[in-house]
Amino acid sequence: MKRSPLLLLAGILISGSAVGADLTGLWAERIKSVVAVEFFTETELDRRPSFAFGTVIDDKGTIILPGPVMNQRARPDQLKDFRVYRPGVPASDYAAGEYLGQDRYTGWHFVRVEESGREGLVPITTFVGDGPDVPAITEEVWGIGLRKKDEDFAPYFLSGRVAIIQTLPQRTGVTTLEVASPGLPVFNGQGGFLGLGAVGFGHSYVMFSERARGGQGIVLVDSDECAAFLLAEEILPNLGRVPSDVFGRPMVWLGTNGLEPMDPEVARFLGLESQAGLVVSEVLENGPAEKAGLQDRDILLELDGTPLPRLKPDSVVVAHVEREINLRRPGDTLELTVLRGSERIGISVVLEDAPLTPREAEQHFFEDLGLTIRGFTYADGVVRRVSMAEHSGVIAHFVKANTPISTAGLRTDDWIKEIDGVEVNDFAQARDILTAIEADATRNEIVLLASRGGETAVLRVKLR
Amino acid sequence: MFSLSRSIALHALILPALTVICIPVHAAMSPGFNHLLDAVVRIDVREVSFEGGTRRFSSGVGSGVILSADGHILTNAHVVSPQAVDINITLSSLERVGATLMGWDHWTDLALLKLDLDEVNRRQLNFTHADFGDSDQLVPGQTVYAVGTPHGLTRTVTRGIISNNRRYFESNTGVRGYETGSFNTWLQTDAAINPGNSGGPLVDDDGAVVGINSRGYMGADNLGFAIPANTAKQIVAELSEHGEVTRSYVGIVPGSLRDLEGFYSLELNTGMLINSVDPGSPAARAGLRGGDILMAINETRVDGRFPEQLPGIQNRIAGKPVGSLLKLTVKRGTQNNDHEVITEELVSRVGEEWALERWGLSVRKVSRTYARENQLPDDTGVLVIGVQSGFPAAVAGLSRGDIITKINHEAVVSLDVIKAAHAAYEAAPAAVLIEARRNFRVSLYVLKP
Repeated sequence: MKRSPLLLLAGILISGSAVGADLTGLWAERIKSVVAVEFFTETELDRRPSFAFGTVIDDKGTIILPGPVMNQRARPDQLKDFRVYRPGVPASDYAAGEYLGQDRYTGWHFVRVEESGREGLVPITTFVGDGPDVPAITEEVWGIGLRKKDEDFAPYFLSGRVAIIQTLPQRTGVTTLEVASPGLPVFNGQGGFLGLGAVGFGHSYVMFSERARGGQGIVLVDSDECAAFLLAEEILPNLGRVPSDVFGRPMVWLGTNGLEPMDPEVARFLGLESQAGLVVSEVLENGPAEKAGLQDRDILLELDGTPLPRLKPDSVVVAHVEREINLRRPGDTLELTVLRGSERIGISVVLEDAPLTPREAEQHFFEDLGLTIRGFTYADGVVRRVSMAEHSGVIAHFVKANTPISTAGLRTDDWIKEIDGVEVNDFAQARDILTAIEADATRNEIVLLASRGGETAVLRVKLR
Repeated sequence: MFSLSRSIALHALILPALTVICIPVHAAMSPGFNHLLDAVVRIDVREVSFEGGTRRFSSGVGSGVILSADGHILTNAHVVSPQAVDINITLSSLERVGATLMGWDHWTDLALLKLDLDEVNRRQLNFTHADFGDSDQLVPGQTVYAVGTPHGLTRTVTRGIISNNRRYFESNTGVRGYETGSFNTWLQTDAAINPGNSGGPLVDDDGAVVGINSRGYMGADNLGFAIPANTAKQIVAELSEHGEVTRSYVGIVPGSLRDLEGFYSLELNTGMLINSVDPGSPAARAGLRGGDILMAINETRVDGRFPEQLPGIQNRIAGKPVGSLLKLTVKRGTQNNDHEVITEELVSRVGEEWALERWGLSVRKVSRTYARENQLPDDTGVLVIGVQSGFPAAVAGLSRGDIITKINHEAVVSLDVIKAAHAAYEAAPAAVLIEARRNFRVSLYVLKP
């Protein structure tokens, strides 16, 4: 244990000698391509700040942030007050940003800096082509880390060697040490752009407790620094995918639920030696796949005549297929080859724009009741196992704790089917009824019929 | 602190005086009570379980009461279940005799055993039997005694009062994961009830059995519960004749109407709230739904104002022969409508269990009730309740909670289907293809030798 600081020091010395001598100059130029972004998520209860690091991709002040930095439940109109900070500049000095939306294929969030704040920003594309853009295994690479807001997002240097390059399904370089903060660029010795730091790579540890016998495996993920990066070939072709719609529309849709990978034993049993297959758990009602004749439990073998590749781990094949679909547009035809029983069948699916999502559905917060309702969407029907003919009512999107409505037993995500004995058909009707109730100072109670897990209950809400 | 130690000292002074007063009471226990003591038995059970991908055995201790000269013993369903492989009865003479399970009803937590009379006669053993009292005549405050084997302490008598003669609670997993309490209320007593008292009688001063002790709140002070004798009498009759209690089901989940009469424009003590209707059940097919009010069953009015009244109403439906045509009068809005439903047999959510040991796989049949509760399309399949690590099922990736729907392309419509596949594997091990679902996601697995 005592030796480890020495080893670490040795590692840094080696790195220093391997990367070019003019690194100081490369560094000074390249930190102009990175920024820190702060934004606020407003909910019924609070306003929470979040921070993310982004890379500048063009001279219009467009910045990409990694996908996982935002709560997927938050609607774009809940995301407020984007602020863009330069590394090492006092945090009191920032520019405003505009949120442009998320791209489904890459997962990136796009933010655009206001015009006055763009000066001095250098697009990352400036550094493409300096040296080979795919590093060799063992090659020394380096990148930028940013500290936290209270340290003015000071930039710092990171470097490590490339240990392996994997297809997950995105081409990903894994490094011996942390080489960048999530979403920030990684460079070769000549300062050429190699890729962006990727979040989510963790280290497995075994945690021992004095009280419990045996060790318990845990995975620690460093959320500040990455020892992996997506290669430039995953980044550069997609920089043009700036969403034209803040919800990321059009949203291409196949209309299946639960594509499940199979392990090599199953593939072999089914005679699929050199390729992968995915079980289609469920074909969704009235979706493109159903219209084309795909059936539950068909096994997907090929997309547009190309067999599904064998990727490791097995679950990566699912991500591969999802990305392939997301690359296409509504109206495109996708040729599927499936195994049904022992028969191979070709199916032509005309992809569609996905039905309204819960994030896009109308919402209304009734402050006095402590309840947010939102419209019932297609996805709500899928989750609740009901057919489209039964779609009605509204979803309790948020129920504030310790309010009469929560004491009566209503929970977030309950499906409200009736209010005061009146069947709720749609969002507008529910909003009107609840608005009238909230405005009525003489009102003593509301009676709701709510459904959870397929079971209904009559809830009596005592208002006063 | 100071006042506390003073009060303890005070008790110490008073107690000897009380003891002197109490001695004549004890000396005068009734002949009936003494007779009852000879009818209470200790029950030692060894049973099989199918958890963890294998057969395992466990043992437990409970209590029971002999009810007839032909050796019928009443106990709890959670003391002796159909998975018992070995039942030993310790008579009041401390002699041990074997017994068999005659019938089992988890809904009321009752089981009926039969003493091995051949053995009793061969060894010239004697026993007496107890009689039921009328539990409807019990009043709160009345003295009762619990007799049994708490923590293995044979023939322990504890004394208390009836704390409540009509306690309502039902539980979906109350008897070893089986449902209980939907069709009966409970007697509550403060007579000490501890683990091992289960199945022993709750008796009055004359030794008449007024209840069967069943459960207590752990960590609470003397909150014990017993099945009323009048419920037990009916169940014993069914179990001794048929070995089980067959009940009718229509799929209504009841709720009490308390405080909602105004909302539904009902007179007090009229109707029962239908909180939910099970999807696909007879009531659902007849068009009933949550928020309806059940006004009458076969023209006899229903009063479900308070929770304590719900088991009685449930029993009115359950007590009908399976396949009966019921006329349910239901109020929705201002309208009263009659709906005809044909009852189905009530089944538990817990299906039959089995261990497929070569695969290290424990399964439980998906029952109709389980399927409805979990929004499955039908009752095809078996639920994985355990796997043994390192065995083919675990190696293939199956785990607890998966539902196996197909095996080698054959739908698993019964336990026999998967047992047959397992037997074929035992005879000639070869790869087996399994289709299983978990949260509506379908995956394939191969079990390899």
